[in-house]
Amino acid sequence: MSPLTTGTSGWRRRGAAAFIALWLSVQVLVPLLQKFEPPHFQYRWARYSWGMFSAIGSTYEVRLFRTRGDGGAEPVPEVGHYVRGYRSPDPMRMRTVYWSEAEALDRFSRLLSFIARDRHDGYTYVASIRWTRVPPGDLPALTEIRVHAAP
Amino acid sequence: MSTPPRDAAAEHSFGNGWFVPVPSCRFATFRVALAFTTLVFHVPKFNGLLASYAASAFHVPPAFAWLPILTPAAAAVLALLQYAAAAGLLLGLAVPPCGWFLAGLGFYVMLLDPEHYSHNAHFHVTLLALLGCSQDGLSLARLVRERAAAARCAAWPERLARLQVGIVFFYAAFDKVFSPFWGLEGTRLGALRMADHGLGFGLLQRLNRAVMRTAPAALSVATIAVEFFLAAAAVFRPFWRAGLVVGFMFVAYLEFLVAPGLFTWDMLAAGILFLPAGDGGWQVFHDSRCAACRRRLTLLSWLDWLRRCRYVVRGDASDDCPGIALVSPRGRPVSGFEAVRVLPAILAGPTFIVMALSRFGGGYLAARIASEWDDLPYVLLLAYLALWMPGVARYLGRPLHAALGAHARAPRNLDPPSSPG
Repeated sequence: MSPLTTGTSGWRRRGAAAFIALWLSVQVLVPLLQKFEPPHFQYRWARYSWGMFSAIGSTYEVRLFRTRGDGGAEPVPEVGHYVRGYRSPDPMRMRTVYWSEAEALDRFSRLLSFIARDRHDGYTYVASIRWTRVPPGDLPALTEIRVHAAP
Repeated sequence: MSTPPRDAAAEHSFGNGWFVPVPSCRFATFRVALAFTTLVFHVPKFNGLLASYAASAFHVPPAFAWLPILTPAAAAVLALLQYAAAAGLLLGLAVPPCGWFLAGLGFYVMLLDPEHYSHNAHFHVTLLALLGCSQDGLSLARLVRERAAAARCAAWPERLARLQVGIVFFYAAFDKVFSPFWGLEGTRLGALRMADHGLGFGLLQRLNRAVMRTAPAALSVATIAVEFFLAAAAVFRPFWRAGLVVGFMFVAYLEFLVAPGLFTWDMLAAGILFLPAGDGGWQVFHDSRCAACRRRLTLLSWLDWLRRCRYVVRGDASDDCPGIALVSPRGRPVSGFEAVRVLPAILAGPTFIVMALSRFGGGYLAARIASEWDDLPYVLLLAYLALWMPGVARYLGRPLHAALGAHARAPRNLDPPSSPG
């Protein structure tokens, strides 16, 4: 459309009207269904629902390491290859801002399974998670996930 | 310097109707503001996410199984394309494809991994998608030229963006009503993480924390009420003026006293869509024989992206040019130091760029040179607010007047003859 054109007409107008209706429907309904998911329609904080600053989130420290037998904690080799920026065995400070504590635990569980599958070296891979602020009510202050890598 | 005619019809249609013609410069100014934050913040952040994702061997399953997994080569190409698209938005070249590309890629990155998601980013890519609907057709070069005052486009993209702001504030408030952290009691509000930053805001930040600890219920209810009000204000035109003031204070509160983030800057950019444009509401008086006046007018016409100024040749025949003189849309004369003070509010687009540059440029320098650069936006804001303190005009008025240029007392040979006002 030329910048000097005034208004919209014809099929472009009908197309624009359909787009507006679709856009507004999506913008109104998707956050509502995200917050009150069927069939129970109980409130939950959710992504893509404009819950700005609503969920305050938890902070936690994660230590990733591996052990074998009675040995102490050893660093996970090439941990930065698995997830860029991760380190081992030093603790990493993290925050669940836009995801739940359960999702955080699931992520580390999947990560350890992936590493154990990849390395299959007989070590036990461990993620030790200590909730440092706003510990979730149904979780202990310290959670440890262990996955054994079959040789 | 020609005088653009005042177009009252444009302001009558402002906010009414989806397909009526409105001044293109408003949406174009909004686009430039958003493109700027996209270029300096969103694209570097999302390119970082793309690079990290591509460099990692482990990934959680994406939100949808059919989403293609990113390869390092694809990530590098997308990173370059993001910069190109953001530059396109800024310059006003191929705006719809650039807007939709950035929005589509933004949603793709957020859906790849839940850790990539943030409300700030979600809001930003939603606004980028709305830029994809742009029909303003004004390049940055045309925006700074006076001709842009005549350009018109359909109202629906800007109206949709205003409604989007209302929807975001409505759901932000609605969520807090049900949230266990907020609600009517705000019992867990004390856990809200706040950033320590902002030169001269330490006292206010401590006060804010004290209120949060001692009266969480009041703070929670007040936040919910403000957000519901802003939602209503974005939708109903009679509330726009109050909404702009409350909205500015609210997002400034978030930026300076809670935690800095892109949300504040996106909301400030969206605030441009609630401002009048193309109306020539501010009369700028000038003396065509005065070289300083002509320089000032040229500069003003470049910076007046919303085309709020109408240039009027001074009618009196006195030899001495008294400097900058404006008349507000309500007929209030403003001159000299006071006029300089109000100009940043009239020139909303360039003011936004300067503040955003200080915020994100300061952050960039703070990360690489010295942390003090983080305070740049606060220094600028405090300096601007200081201009409104009583008595400041007495000290700054004369130097400012001198800095703006000496005025010719009589026409020079090369000066054009004065035209009647």
